[in-house]
Amino acid sequence: MKTPRGTHYEILGIEPSATGEELEEAYRRCLALYGEGALAIYSLLEPEELRAVRARVDEAYRVLSDPDRRREYDASPREPEPDDTDAAPDLPRPEPAVLPEPVTGPDLRRVREARGVALKEIAIASKIGVRFLEYIEADRHADLPAVVYLRGFLQEYARAVGLDPQRTAASYLARLARPGPRATGA
Amino acid sequence: MSAAQPIAAPARVPSASPHPPRRIWSIGGGKGGIGKSLLAASLGAQLARMGKRVVLVDADLGGANLHTCLGVAGPPLTLGDFIQRRVERIEDVAVETGRPGLRLISGASDFLSAANINYAQKVRVLNRIKALDVDVVLMDLGAGTAYNIIDFFLASDVSLLVVVPEPTSIENGYRFIKSALYRRLRRAAQGDEVRRIVDSAIDARNPSGIRTPLDLLAAVEREDAAAAEALRRELRGYQPHFIVNQVRSDADAAIGQQLVTACARHLGIRSTYAGFVRYDDAVWRCVRQRRLFVDDPEGGRPAEDVQKIAAGLLKGENLTLPWS
Repeated sequence: MKTPRGTHYEILGIEPSATGEELEEAYRRCLALYGEGALAIYSLLEPEELRAVRARVDEAYRVLSDPDRRREYDASPREPEPDDTDAAPDLPRPEPAVLPEPVTGPDLRRVREARGVALKEIAIASKIGVRFLEYIEADRHADLPAVVYLRGFLQEYARAVGLDPQRTAASYLARLARPGPRATGA
Repeated sequence: MSAAQPIAAPARVPSASPHPPRRIWSIGGGKGGIGKSLLAASLGAQLARMGKRVVLVDADLGGANLHTCLGVAGPPLTLGDFIQRRVERIEDVAVETGRPGLRLISGASDFLSAANINYAQKVRVLNRIKALDVDVVLMDLGAGTAYNIIDFFLASDVSLLVVVPEPTSIENGYRFIKSALYRRLRRAAQGDEVRRIVDSAIDARNPSGIRTPLDLLAAVEREDAAAAEALRRELRGYQPHFIVNQVRSDADAAIGQQLVTACARHLGIRSTYAGFVRYDDAVWRCVRQRRLFVDDPEGGRPAEDVQKIAAGLLKGENLTLPWS
């Protein structure tokens, strides 16, 4: 799970036409659900996930409760919502680029460094351990998880550094000549 | 991987989707000591009072005690006798409870083996239960998330999940709801690879980072879009109902709605809130006297609450609460 996405309205569970009163009510509801010591959410979210949700709720409330900022927000163009399956992390994204094949770990690292994205950032956004990201960059194929997971990891990585996720993953995986790789323990 | 879903607006209308006949009900909760059996007994008694022909099934195979909740003696024949084929027809182990319209199939308290029934026995029990000629079969499930318990839960038209406003119960409730869903998805999963992904998700510490059903669907989607769609249908068809028991405040009552919201946003599960039962010493006094609080003139507010839940579930209506 990552930072919750959605518009400020969706985060608070209200319609864009919501009145100030409805906004206050929704904010109170969200605090009850996600607040310190809240019972209903117990054990469902990790502490850092809970913090991220709270931060999003607070930000949404700060913007929408200020008439000027709300107007500005309503007027600003909205990014199209990705669907559930397209989980792009909330990082600034330049145009997706495609690297010449074959894509190697060092190629990926060069792109990442050129874009100024820290491994830690990718790890936080994607919930993939830094260790696995390092293995990807170091081409330590034997230490990488099974292809079914690795493909997802590579796609997340590619998105974070502004590469085309599908093609990057496919190209990287094509170099792996390991028959039936097994998942490594985490 | 998952994105949090928007909070659903509080439901104001009866759920519009056509329901299958609501005949087989089950009550689970994952945790012991939260009033599951008492709630099952009182809900059964209430449904019978509303004119339904009801059979209560004590499916807590290791720790059957529904007869005590109902204030009747432990029956000579139990579900164990049917499972072990000492009795051929399941009807023959159903006993009267002294309440018109309400019969009881008692759990097997006499031997441990019944708690570990095998797959064929389970299928036989479920098939016979479904064939019972009654309006409602209400199964009281044991604590925990063993497959035997979950399979009865999944076989129901109305799956009720009881929690009390305590962290331990909430935690076990989430564990139960997730375990049951993964079991359901595992059964529906087509293809070795997809099954392997579902299996890996069941291990909460899997290396793939799959932590929620939404993560799981995303992982399957990357592998096989058609399989993901099939699993998505299963996810949509999974609609447990929460009951919050032992409610002592408005904030406690609001927990049910919050659970529904949290399930939708963070697990992708569309649950509903069937209602709450307020805490009252009268219930405890009735238990001590081996009387059922819904039968008692002193049953008070908890009896009213059970009545509302029964009526709502029969109509297919969900509780609508402004969450505080």
